[in-house]
Amino acid sequence: MSVGKVKEKTKKTKVKEPLASMADKTVYKALGLSGGIFGAAPCAIDVKNDRIVRIRPLHFDAKYDPKTFNPWKITKNGKTLEPMYKALPSPFSLAYKKRVYSPNRIKYPLKRVDWNPDGERNTQNRGKSKFVRISWDEATDLIAKEIRRLHKQYGPCTILIQGDGHGECMFVNATHGSSSLLLDKMGGFTQQIRNPDSWEGWYWGSKHVWGSGLIGMMNPANNIVKDISEHTQLLLVWGGDPETTPWGFRGQYASNIVRFWSEIGIKQVYICPDLNYAAAIHANKWIPVLPNTDAALQLAIIYMWIKEGTYDKEYIKTHTIGFDKIQAYVMGEEDGEAKTPEWASKKCGVPEWTIKALARDWAKKVCTIGHYFGGGMIRGPLAHEPARLECILLGMQGLGKPGVHQAQISYQGMPRNIVSKKTGSHMGMFERLKGTKYGDRLLKPHSITPTAWGKQMIPKTMIEKAINEGKIDFYGTGGHEVPTSDQFVKYSYPIPKEKGGAQVHMIWTDTPCRITCWNCGNDVIDTVRSPKIEFVLAQHPWLENDCLYADIILPIKTIVETDDISPCVRDGESFQSLVLMKPAIPPIGEALSNYEAVCEIAKKLNMYEEVTEGRSVPDLIKDVFYGLGFGDYISYDEFEEKGYYVLPVADDWEDDVAGLYDFYKDPVKNPLPTPSGKLEFYAERIAKHFPDDKERGPYPKWIERSESHDERISSERAKLYPLLLMSNHGRWRVHAQCDDITWTREAYTGKILGFDGYKYEPCWINPNDAKARGIKDGDIVKVFNERGGVLCGARVFERVMPGVVSVDHGARADAIIPGKLDRGGAINTVTPAGLTSKNCAGQATSGFLVDIEKVTPEQMGKWMNDYPDAFNREYDPDSGLRFDAWVEGRK
Amino acid sequence: MKAFVIDLSVCNGCYACQIACKDEHVGNDWTPYAKPQPDTGHFWLGIKETVRGTVPKVMVTYVPMLCMHCADAPCMKACKPGAIYKREDGLVIIDPEKCTGCKLCMDVCPYDAIFMNSGLNIAQKCTGCAHLLDDGWEVPRCVDNCPTEALKFGEEKDLKKYIAKAEPITPDVKLKTRVYYLNTPKKWVSGTLYDPKEKEVIAGAKCTLTDLETREAIIDETNAWGDFWFRGLPDNRRFKLKIEKGKKTVTMDSICTDTDRNLGDIALK
Repeated sequence: MSVGKVKEKTKKTKVKEPLASMADKTVYKALGLSGGIFGAAPCAIDVKNDRIVRIRPLHFDAKYDPKTFNPWKITKNGKTLEPMYKALPSPFSLAYKKRVYSPNRIKYPLKRVDWNPDGERNTQNRGKSKFVRISWDEATDLIAKEIRRLHKQYGPCTILIQGDGHGECMFVNATHGSSSLLLDKMGGFTQQIRNPDSWEGWYWGSKHVWGSGLIGMMNPANNIVKDISEHTQLLLVWGGDPETTPWGFRGQYASNIVRFWSEIGIKQVYICPDLNYAAAIHANKWIPVLPNTDAALQLAIIYMWIKEGTYDKEYIKTHTIGFDKIQAYVMGEEDGEAKTPEWASKKCGVPEWTIKALARDWAKKVCTIGHYFGGGMIRGPLAHEPARLECILLGMQGLGKPGVHQAQISYQGMPRNIVSKKTGSHMGMFERLKGTKYGDRLLKPHSITPTAWGKQMIPKTMIEKAINEGKIDFYGTGGHEVPTSDQFVKYSYPIPKEKGGAQVHMIWTDTPCRITCWNCGNDVIDTVRSPKIEFVLAQHPWLENDCLYADIILPIKTIVETDDISPCVRDGESFQSLVLMKPAIPPIGEALSNYEAVCEIAKKLNMYEEVTEGRSVPDLIKDVFYGLGFGDYISYDEFEEKGYYVLPVADDWEDDVAGLYDFYKDPVKNPLPTPSGKLEFYAERIAKHFPDDKERGPYPKWIERSESHDERISSERAKLYPLLLMSNHGRWRVHAQCDDITWTREAYTGKILGFDGYKYEPCWINPNDAKARGIKDGDIVKVFNERGGVLCGARVFERVMPGVVSVDHGARADAIIPGKLDRGGAINTVTPAGLTSKNCAGQATSGFLVDIEKVTPEQMGKWMNDYPDAFNREYDPDSGLRFDAWVEGRK
Repeated sequence: MKAFVIDLSVCNGCYACQIACKDEHVGNDWTPYAKPQPDTGHFWLGIKETVRGTVPKVMVTYVPMLCMHCADAPCMKACKPGAIYKREDGLVIIDPEKCTGCKLCMDVCPYDAIFMNSGLNIAQKCTGCAHLLDDGWEVPRCVDNCPTEALKFGEEKDLKKYIAKAEPITPDVKLKTRVYYLNTPKKWVSGTLYDPKEKEVIAGAKCTLTDLETREAIIDETNAWGDFWFRGLPDNRRFKLKIEKGKKTVTMDSICTDTDRNLGDIALK
């Protein structure tokens, strides 16, 4: 739709600074929601009388001459892409006032009414019984006493830290993992290892093809935004949504890049079951493909290229190994079945003629595959197969050539700033910090998310199995930043007793969203109610999801109330920056920061000095500033006075080598980090370590059904559950965050008001499938399979292909029957329990079988009658769940 | 005179403008410009979202709708207590102190841009963030929040080059408005041509779309994907489509642009 429109030269919109209108102070905050050490989406918050007046995008040039930023520019066909001089936060970052003042905020410490550590623990009532207010003193006494008892009785590893994942961008006060600062000094703990939940396929698959040690995507991916602009002719956006998923991570600059690519004539083809938000406005063509059948489509493209000889044969000889195996499999020499477009069409739902047209246009043009995590392709059962096939397809067309990349659009490959230039990447800054006196201590809580270092470890996808069965084995920790070879290492839980191994009897979570964001949510509910789990401690700003299954809950400040600092230094915004984040308002209720809460517990355990190392929060903020090297560019005093700093762009950023160009030019001199140094279409290592693995063999295949999964429309199960459900990251949430913002819930694709006055999570349904089931737009529907049911609101429209329903993951769980039926729209409660595949501990949370049916008033009446507690809780459709509903004496 | 320019071709549908309005006006009292907006249900600036076409030829159009700050605003005339006035800069304001909540303005506004605040018993709408402009801001909150510069605001005379290309968003309403829309949605007709025997798309086929009223014909050629697209068509007209390649032809006699038309995968036999 935007094709042919010339972008006007950036006109700056001026906003009065520093004292914005009708406010008595302005405070800066990185309101991105990726969390950890990386900030994003810097905003200015105007405050009056300790109340937030407004939240607006930070204008980078409010306090600096923009010339000092050394602005970058990308030009093609007479059109120019330039930075914006303001941050482009997502709508939910801009609506963050509603999160801060959410009626669901936890106002003071809570204890579950029928949890008595000296008597009956009533673990079976978690998620059913309410909470009662207690003081911080009482709460920390109880917690300290339990930690001491558990340590003595079972050993330190009996405490599982769930302290990973996304969240607010707090550095010193670490949104996640602060508890590790305490427990690490008390003999260790069991670490929940966050699996690569948004990019499972690349992690468990692509890494074996191109060997990358960095999360699994193409690496390096420097400077590819410029290179794609200059050389790419065809952009296949395969699965992910560059108009949605970057929002919580970096804001909206990706939108401007993608639009610019249209303006300069790059054709955009979107291959996804849903008309995602980028496809809806940027697609030259949408190819709907059934969820998790991308492998069939990919194999047919390879078939066409081999048949017609339209691939880079020379590159195959010099840059790859194992093509002969792929050729034999695709052409049917191996199993007697050629992977023709006719063969693929029946599986993936794409017409034969469109498959052929795609194969031919791709072979003719310089093509990049674009993503932004998530989407229909990369998070399903056996996701390593389409991921590896993608690498092979790119390899057959000369991966690394100018314009031929895999691009996580805007996530990497934008013009480099001076610091990244100097140190190789933004990670260089953190290496530098690590070398400083308090660096290790500052980084420790954050390292829980990407790395695996706990004394005892359990992959996040296997927590339930580990607790229930008491013993698990797994290959590879799933830690994001570990080498590919880790996937061949066998780990066990528990570790041997003499090494400190112990069964988990306590869960300490600061990331209470396992039910709605990970696999088999209903199993989570069943497991956390086991008497084996003697104590569940949650700390969080909002009373939601896993919090409701805790015994003690601590009230946590939001970023807006917290004193901190945030380096917004990753790609994806116009400029990188450092933001000093003074508290904007006093804490809500008795909230403390995550770190402060841990310190309060440490005091009761006589560990306060060990945890703080004598450093105050303001001291640590300065340690971050100097440790990251910002003292080289601006004095702390000036930084404090201005409140933020903008990193200039490196003078010679245009000279940065794009993507894998060096490898393309000379694979011998610039090998990939694979054993052979080449693209390994056939992975000898997999063949050697897992000779009997039929799910992830040495090279990728189409697998109809397997040991772990039976989620194809050809399955017997499909007679009962004939629809394929796809689930992407939310448009109006970041995973489980922000589901309570009244203003985003009002959007057309936000919540849907049911006949019972409840606002339901939307389920996208094609009109054909709705009609066949007597469902109309706005109806309440039950999405179900044998794992349970989830109530949703029907959004009947043409944005999803027939045979498919789509529900974003991460809606706040609101159980009618805990472990069986959810009203909040938490679709992950019914996802497969099976891992990505048997030797790959990833999650398979998109592309599985369900059916849907209309919920009648009679059915709803029956549930109301049978489960009165679930329906009598205080509730407000505008914002959803409420604190008062779960706390005695409130209502 | 102040004016808005909204380029629909670059709007990405993020709702940041709609949210900016709420962030500025919900819970904040800007009397005498405006009293607080209710938390939900009011859309002083609201996104109208339309899903167009059928699988697999589908697109979404987003239209930010707000008070048009009409030069000759019918609401001003209808307002009995004289609560609605036009500022020197052209912004139309409902004085929250004078409004009696009679709703006459709501009845006459052709854009449904005025909302009833039943709690305060007053009518409310976009003020152009006049309280901020008077305090030195150059643009209202919705424009400041916009990530794509789809929304622009300024002096009408400075925006002339855009205004020259503007089109009315509601063609049947003849009012002089100060919100100018660029690239308003036009109907389209599209399809994919294929050879049912060879199971191949057909590229390079000549597609002729003839307006049955004016007899005017537009020509397109199927691309490498077998697709043809006729864009920018008038509403509610009937067309005849003829597709030719070699000796084969297929015709479709009466295609109505009451809606966007995906003609599907068309076999050329």
